[in-house]
Amino acid sequence: MDVDTEGAFVADEIKTSVKETVDSVLHDAVYDHDKVSQWTNQIVEDCTKKLVGLQKPFKYIVTCVIMQRTGAGIHTAASCFWDSSSDGYAVVRVDTKSMYAIATVFGVAL
Amino acid sequence: QSFSFFIVNVPVSQRRFKPMQAREAMEAVLKEKLQGQQYSVEQVPSWTRDIADAVKNKLKEFEYDRYKIIVQVVIGELRGEGVKMACRCFWDENSDKHVSFTFSNDSLFCTATAFAVYHY
Repeated sequence: MDVDTEGAFVADEIKTSVKETVDSVLHDAVYDHDKVSQWTNQIVEDCTKKLVGLQKPFKYIVTCVIMQRTGAGIHTAASCFWDSSSDGYAVVRVDTKSMYAIATVFGVAL
Repeated sequence: QSFSFFIVNVPVSQRRFKPMQAREAMEAVLKEKLQGQQYSVEQVPSWTRDIADAVKNKLKEFEYDRYKIIVQVVIGELRGEGVKMACRCFWDENSDKHVSFTFSNDSLFCTATAFAVYHY
């Protein structure tokens, strides 16, 4: 099978774009139970829009977890059954003073 | 004048991704791995990976036709903190599905989400 780098998932540019989105939504915000829904939704919405704007032949899944920093631990893992020559993922972790945000993008080639 | 025709293969009903079936499988895996367990800093990283792999393998056994499967697992310690998770998908609503299940006990919570993406 030919590996076509044009058609493959490029994690680096996506990581930069996702980090910018998370930083712009959360900037210096303090964890607020009433706002966290709005933040997670806004992050996934803005990331999805940017990804669609790249106009690549991919389907995207964007997830975001925001957790209040209280000293509790959190872990995430993913397992995928796909075509590793064309599909890929990118994970971005942003820590602010009061919360942890983990954003994941999965890109599945059409 | 030229025309383009796109014939999209719709998933065959017997091998279509079945959300309820997948959810039951996920529930079984989570309960089996985490029932009676306490959050442990050393073990949770390997639990998350093992659970993600176990769920993915169980879903592969169902042999859904032409589906790519992504499983994401989050395990967190329950200490009264607030947690929120959201996801947004850019895909084909007719064929692609997602299912999620959360297990919790007095010391931890575990959310597993499976995404099934149809490959044309």
